[in-house]
Amino acid sequence: MSLRIDTTPSGRRLHIESELTVATAAAVREEILTALPPGGTDEIEIDLSGVSEIDTAGLQLMLQLKRKCGARLRLVNHSPAVLQILDLSNLGAQFGDPVVICPHERSSVQS
Amino acid sequence: MIVDEARGTFFEEAQELLRQMEQILLAFEIGTQNEEEVNELFRAAHTIKGSAGLFRFEEIVSFTHVVESVLDRLRSGALEADDGLLGLLLESGDHIGTLVAAAASDSPLVEAVQALGNALVARLEAFLPRPAETPLAGEFLPEPEPALAVSGGGPLGGADTWHLSLRFGADVLRMGMDPLAFIRYLTTLGDIVHIETLCDALPPIEDFDPEACHLGFELDLRSAASRQEIEAVFEFVQDDAQIRILPPHARVEDDIALIAELPEESSRLGEILVAGGALTRRELEQALRAQAQDAPERRLGEILTDAGAVHEQVVEAALDKQKRGEERRAAESRSVKVPADKLDRLIDLVGELVIAGAGTQLLANRSRLGELAESASQVNRLVEEVRDAALRLRMVQIGEVFNRFPRVVRDVSRELGKDIELKISGAETELDKSMVERLGDPLMHLMRNSMDHGLETAEERLARGKPARGTVGLAARHESGSIVIEVRDDGRGLDRERILRKAIEKGLVQESQSLEDGEVYQLILQPGFSTAEKVTNLSGRGVGMDVVKSSIEALRGSIEIQSQAGEGTCMRLTLPLTLAIIDGFLVGVGCARFVLPLEMVVECIELPAGDGAGDRDYLNLRGQVLPFLRLRELFEVPHPAPRRQNVVVVQYGGRQAGLAVDSLMGECQTVIKPLGVLFEKLRGISGSTVLASGEVGLILDVPQLIQLATAREGVQIGNAARQRVAQS
Repeated sequence: MSLRIDTTPSGRRLHIESELTVATAAAVREEILTALPPGGTDEIEIDLSGVSEIDTAGLQLMLQLKRKCGARLRLVNHSPAVLQILDLSNLGAQFGDPVVICPHERSSVQS
Repeated sequence: MIVDEARGTFFEEAQELLRQMEQILLAFEIGTQNEEEVNELFRAAHTIKGSAGLFRFEEIVSFTHVVESVLDRLRSGALEADDGLLGLLLESGDHIGTLVAAAASDSPLVEAVQALGNALVARLEAFLPRPAETPLAGEFLPEPEPALAVSGGGPLGGADTWHLSLRFGADVLRMGMDPLAFIRYLTTLGDIVHIETLCDALPPIEDFDPEACHLGFELDLRSAASRQEIEAVFEFVQDDAQIRILPPHARVEDDIALIAELPEESSRLGEILVAGGALTRRELEQALRAQAQDAPERRLGEILTDAGAVHEQVVEAALDKQKRGEERRAAESRSVKVPADKLDRLIDLVGELVIAGAGTQLLANRSRLGELAESASQVNRLVEEVRDAALRLRMVQIGEVFNRFPRVVRDVSRELGKDIELKISGAETELDKSMVERLGDPLMHLMRNSMDHGLETAEERLARGKPARGTVGLAARHESGSIVIEVRDDGRGLDRERILRKAIEKGLVQESQSLEDGEVYQLILQPGFSTAEKVTNLSGRGVGMDVVKSSIEALRGSIEIQSQAGEGTCMRLTLPLTLAIIDGFLVGVGCARFVLPLEMVVECIELPAGDGAGDRDYLNLRGQVLPFLRLRELFEVPHPAPRRQNVVVVQYGGRQAGLAVDSLMGECQTVIKPLGVLFEKLRGISGSTVLASGEVGLILDVPQLIQLATAREGVQIGNAARQRVAQS
């Protein structure tokens, strides 16, 4: 089980508590799809603090989630691995979430 | 030794490039300027500088550098190629030539040359943006930053920015490779200036395979890495991904330069691009596959450009290189360099073979063995062909001489302040190499003479209703076994009266003499004769024309001058094609044998029986007066004349004469052996030859004989007239 779901006042918060790579992507997707049945309207926060590792497959999954849920979805508590990959792929703006960047985490690749 | 050879190559190449530059510059002056040629100009200077640097010819490097900088500005459009600049560049080219020549002979520069160099540098620098530091001799100059060509290409291309376009295959993730990891790895090669992740291909979350890769990336990488290094990053996914690498603009320049400098011309476009580093082997293979599969009729260059692998300019440069390589290979396979002395030896031997063959033929005929005679004549026919082929080996196009004249005309027209156009025709006419070498100076003199004395100034021309621009023509053509070269101008023409006055003044002719126009004009070929009212530094000192005449005569040629007052002058040189072998016509007088050049023989007639011509030296040839010479008398042959004699009608330079001989012996091939110094002054004889029978034959100097015959005729007619006057 890599997904933990909390209920918040405005909606739900999904904690992803595993790596988000090609190895886990299929499983995580199933769990998310189960947790987010079509037609839902509540606000969803995805807590990424537990994502120890993320690769292209994970990035794709997040992109699809964002596309599916639109503004309902917010990514929070990005882990360093996630921040790095958003930075690398220059996709931060696509998600539009406030991101806390610590100076030492800032990779040199951001333009 | 190897270094010496390489140096030799450099000198040759440099001269070649300088000639090329000169040609381009001259073309510009006429106003046919195009971008490609400006580039060529720049590349030529660049190559000379680069090669000179290899051999540490610092003077060449430092001077050429300044020239190159100016050319660079010309290339980038910062400068206009006006006459002043072109003139300066031409002078600079000459100076580089001087420097190269000095380097070739290992001689130190003379002060005057150095001074000239400094003056030129000063003038060149006036065309440079800021007062550049005068390059010190001995200092190796850094390459100037090449100007960026403005062109299409990568969307965000900076000087060093590669554009990478990455589309990964769906399976890369499953194979354990993470596209983002490659991109991360790219950062070790340089800075990713910008990246765009393309997620358009991403299907909705419900129906997608999370283990398949759907992302694409467009990124700009600022890196000094080579194309190969960048491609190597993607080595493991190459087969499953489309990876396009667009080089930075600066690299386009580099690639073009690299391609231009490739030492070995590969015959194939792809190979050239790979060798130049503009393309990797894999990209080439991909494109070739695409070509084979989808579009066999498309050209590789198009496929590569369309695929974005290579800039169009680079492909063009490579194609250009390919073309040149082909041309050069073709030229190489077409020509072999042979030392001239070997060729001369061959021609000597062929000459001997011709004589020996003729001897054999003669013996075979006498033997009355039909088969032997037949075989001998077959051998002879082949020998003849060998002779012709051997002689052709020495033939070169006269263009070799003509080529230097565009520059001469340009320089002279500047010097004289006349607007002169040069028209060349028949540059492909072939003649013996040794003649070509000896024609340069006489032609130069005639050309200068035409431009200086022949052509009027622009004002004079306009006043006479002629176009302001004068024309000098240089034409060559073959005419019955001779080559005819004409130097023509549309100037004022020769002034018959003034020439005559001058000639009488100098005692060259008597006042009472009546001369034909042609004869009057010939007077200007006399030593010390000049009608020019003022002496310029080109001509007009009265030396030269006589030298021209004697050098043409030394080539067994003649000069004919035609002129029309106010219309122009034409100097016509008639020269034999070769100096070594002629087709001869053998005649006998008593036991002496004479050879006439066959191409000058018009016909043979019988001398009217009983010497009906009496003591006259002219006879009636179909209503025309034909002066003739009795060779028996001329050469004082002791044998008495036989009952029947023949007259060989010969023609040269539009005039005919007859030569009375005893017997006609037919055609023979003749190797000309010059007469010794002792016989040099002999009139009427131009050489000797060994006949097939082993006898010595004398080759008749037909032009001289014709002259002699016509002169005598004139005297005789004069005498006859006087006699009549006395009688009456």
